[in-house]
Amino acid sequence: MALHFSSAHPISALHPLLCFFLHDTYPEMEYASGLQRQLASMKKNLFDQGYLDEQFYQLEELQDESSPNFVEEVVTLFFRDSSRLVANIDQALQKYPQDFRRLDNFMHQLKGSASSIGAAKMKNECTSFREFCNKENREGCLRSFQKVKKEHAVLKQKLENYFQLLKQVGPVDKATHSGN
Amino acid sequence: MNERMDPAPTSCGQATASSSTGRPDAAAAATGMPTEFPAGLRVLLVDDDATCLKIIEMMLRKCHYDVTTCSCAATALSMLRERKGWFDLVLSDVYMPDMDGFKLLEHIGLEMDLPVIMMSADDHKDVVMKGVTHGAVDYLIKPVRIEPLKNIWQHVVRKKQFELKELEHSGSLEENERESERHKRAMEEGDNATSGCGENLKNIKRKKEGKEEDEQDVDDQADPSQTKKPRVVWSSELHQQFVTAVNQLGIDKAVPKKILELMKVAGLTRENVASHLQKYRLYLRRLSVPQHHDRHDGPFTSAQEATFRSVGTVDGFDLQALAVSGQLLPQNLTALSSGSRRVTNTGLRMPVFDQMGFLNSGNASSTRSASVQQMNRGLSYFSGFSNSIESRQLGQSHQLVEPYGNVCLQVGEEISGLLNIPSPQATRSSLPGGISNEQVNRSLIMHMSQQGQQFSLSQQQENFHGQPLPRGQIFNGIGGHDSTKFGHQMSPNAISSHISGRTANIAQTPLPGNHINASYSSVPQALYANNIHDSCLTESAASHYPLASSIGDTPATGNVEALSNTSSLKGVTDLSNCNIYSELHQNKTQDWKLETVNISYQSGQNLAPKQNNADFGSSLVAHQDSIATVQDESSRNTCTVRKEILSVTTEIEHEKIECVAQCNSTILVENSIRLKAESMPDINQQEVLYDNIISNDLMDVGKQD
Repeated sequence: MALHFSSAHPISALHPLLCFFLHDTYPEMEYASGLQRQLASMKKNLFDQGYLDEQFYQLEELQDESSPNFVEEVVTLFFRDSSRLVANIDQALQKYPQDFRRLDNFMHQLKGSASSIGAAKMKNECTSFREFCNKENREGCLRSFQKVKKEHAVLKQKLENYFQLLKQVGPVDKATHSGN
Repeated sequence: MNERMDPAPTSCGQATASSSTGRPDAAAAATGMPTEFPAGLRVLLVDDDATCLKIIEMMLRKCHYDVTTCSCAATALSMLRERKGWFDLVLSDVYMPDMDGFKLLEHIGLEMDLPVIMMSADDHKDVVMKGVTHGAVDYLIKPVRIEPLKNIWQHVVRKKQFELKELEHSGSLEENERESERHKRAMEEGDNATSGCGENLKNIKRKKEGKEEDEQDVDDQADPSQTKKPRVVWSSELHQQFVTAVNQLGIDKAVPKKILELMKVAGLTRENVASHLQKYRLYLRRLSVPQHHDRHDGPFTSAQEATFRSVGTVDGFDLQALAVSGQLLPQNLTALSSGSRRVTNTGLRMPVFDQMGFLNSGNASSTRSASVQQMNRGLSYFSGFSNSIESRQLGQSHQLVEPYGNVCLQVGEEISGLLNIPSPQATRSSLPGGISNEQVNRSLIMHMSQQGQQFSLSQQQENFHGQPLPRGQIFNGIGGHDSTKFGHQMSPNAISSHISGRTANIAQTPLPGNHINASYSSVPQALYANNIHDSCLTESAASHYPLASSIGDTPATGNVEALSNTSSLKGVTDLSNCNIYSELHQNKTQDWKLETVNISYQSGQNLAPKQNNADFGSSLVAHQDSIATVQDESSRNTCTVRKEILSVTTEIEHEKIECVAQCNSTILVENSIRLKAESMPDINQQEVLYDNIISNDLMDVGKQD
C-alpha cells in the first residue's frame, strides 16, 4: 500500500499508523483490517436492524481467556434447544383443539431463551404470539408463529455467518468491538 | 458498569460495627463470613433452560461465586438436603416443568432456611408479588444482567445478621427495640438492585415478623440463651415433631416455649423454635391464598378474590359442606358457586376456609352434577370453596377439614354442627343419630375445598349427587389439573374411600367397626369428594364420618367423610397428593388455609375405634399400606386405592378441632398418583409433611407453571 505522506492527505497518512496500532503486523493488517471491518459492519447491522440487543454485549463481556468461545457456545446451545422447541410448537399448533396454555408455556420458554442471548426480533415475535395465545386466537397464533420461525431462521443464519467471520479474523482486542 | 463489583457495603447497610470501614470484607468478617467474601459464595442455580443456565452460571463465576447448577427442581431440592449447610444462596427460575419455582422456594425456606432469589422473564407485578409473599429475598427479571448478580451476596449477609440478632435477643427483646432494629435494617437494605417492590414488601414482612416474634418472646422469659447457638437444621423429622407439637397446641396457641416442651428435642432452643414457627406461619398464610399457576391469570390477588367470591352457596346449601362431604366435587363446588369463575391453574390451591366448617348440604346434588362439569373446567375449587365458606352463614356448622400430614382443624365457635345436612340429604345419609352439628365441629378441615380444587382441575365428572354431607369434613384429595393433586382429609373414620377421578389419595379412616362398603348408606359421608366420575359419588356411597364428632354415638369418629363407596372410585384416576393445611383462625378475617394433603386412604381399616368421639385429644394414627378396593354398590364402580400411610390425629378442644392427618399419597389408578408413588419411594410417615408437599409438586406432572 502506498503511503502518502503528504500533509494534504492526513487521513491516508494516519491510516497506516492507525492500522499499526490496531493490528499486529502491517502486512496482515490490511487483510485483517478488511475482514475486521467486515465483521464490525456485520455486527453493527445486526444491532441496527434489531436482530440483537444489549444482552448480546453482556455475553461478550463474559467471554475471556478461560472461555474464549463462550458466546459462540451459548448461541449454538440456544439454536439447538430453540429448534427443538420450535418443532414442538409446530406440532402443537397442528393439534385440534388448541391447547393454548401449553402453547403459551412453550413460547414463554422460547422467549426466555431468546431474550437471554439478546435475540431481540425473535423475542418480540414471541411476545406477539403470546398475545394471540392469550386471546385464544388460533389464526393469529399461526401467523405469528410463522414470523417467529422466520426470525429464528434468519438470526441463525446471520449469526452463523458472523461467527465464521469471527473465526477468520481471529482474536481481536476489544477496542474493535463496537458499543463497549 | 463494573463499579458494583466492588461491593459498597454501605449501600447494603450492613449492620455490623465494622461496616463503617466500607469494606464488605471487614463487615463480612464481623458477621462470620469468610474474609474473601463475597467471593466463594456458594450458590445453587436452578433453571430448566440450558441457555439461561449457562449464561447465568458464567455470570456468577465472573462474580467469583462458587456455582453449582441444576436443571431440575427436584434434583436441586435433594442436593440441598444432602448437603445441608453447604449452600449459601439459591437462585431459581420460576417456571419449571417439574416443580413450580414457588413451591421449591417454600420448601427451601421451611427446610433449609436459605435465601432464595427467583428469576423469570415474567415481570408481571402479580408474579413478582407472589415471589415476595412466598419468601423470596429477591426477584430478577430475565434476561439477567451481571450487575444485580454482583450484589446478591447481600441477602446472605442480611439473613445471617437477622439470625444473629435473634439469638442475641432471645427472650428479652423489647418490641420497640426489635422494631427499630428492623426498621433500621430495612432502611439500610438500600438497593436490591433488582425488583423495586421487593424492598418495601420486605420491610413490611419484617415488621410483621418482628411483631410476631415479639409476641412469642414475651411468653418466654425463662430461656436465657445468651450464647450463639449453632444453626439448627430443620430436618423432616424435626419439622414433623414441630408440626405435631403445634397441632397439639393449636396453631393459635402454639408458643415456642410450649412447642419446645412438647418436642423434647435436646439442644433445640426456644429461639430456634420461634424463628421456625414464624416461617411456618407465613407458610401457612401463603397456603391460604390460592395460587395461580396460569400465567394467563390476571393479577394474583384479583384472581384470588374471584375465586373466593365464586363459590357461594348454591341452592342454599353449603358448597363447602358438600364438598366436604365429598359429595360435591370440587368442580361442582366451583361450578355451583359461580357461573364464570376464574379458572385458576391447576395444582393445588389452598382453599381458604373460614372458621366454619362446611358441610355438605345435601341439596345440590343435581346441581352439583352439572356444576361438576364446570368445575372441571378448572375453576379453582378452593376459591370457590373459600367463597362459599365466607358466604356461608355463620350459623352453619362447618368444619374445616384439613387433610394433610398435619392437618389442623380448628373450628371456631360458630361452628355449631359439623354438617348441616339438609333434609333430603339427611335422609340419605342417615347419619348416625348422635351426630349433631356440634359434632361437626370436630370435623376435619374440609378437604373438599381441596378437592374442589382438584376436582375442578381434574376432569372428574362429579358425581356427588345427593350425597348428604355428613358432618364433619370431607376431604377429598383431588388432584388438580393434570396432575392430580388433591388433598383429602383423612378422617379417622374414613370409611369409604372414594376416589374421585384422578385423585386417588383418599385417606379415610375407617369407622370403627365399619367397613367402608357397608356403612355407606348409613353413614353420611362424603369424605372424599374425589370427583370422580359421576358414578363416584352417589348418595348411598357417601358415608360421612365426622372426624371428631362429639356425638358419642356417632359411628363416625372424627369427621371424616369419606366418600365412600358410592363414589365410585372408579373414577379414581390419579390421586395426587395434596397437602392441605388449613388453619382455622378465629380472627375476623377468617382465613382458611388449606393445604391439601395426601391422604392415604384406608379402606376398611379401622383406625382406632372411637377415635373421634367426644373424646378430645384422641389421636388416631393409622398406618396402612394397603390397597383398598372400594366397591360402590350403587354404581358398581371400583376404585382401588393404595394407601401408604395414613395417620390421622384428631384433637378436639372446645370448639376447636384439630385434625392432623398425615397421609401419604394414595396412589390411584391413573396418572399422577402413580407417578407420585414412583417418585416418592421413600415416603415415610415422618416425612409426610415434606413428602406431601413434594409429592404434590411432583404430582404436577405435566402441569405447566
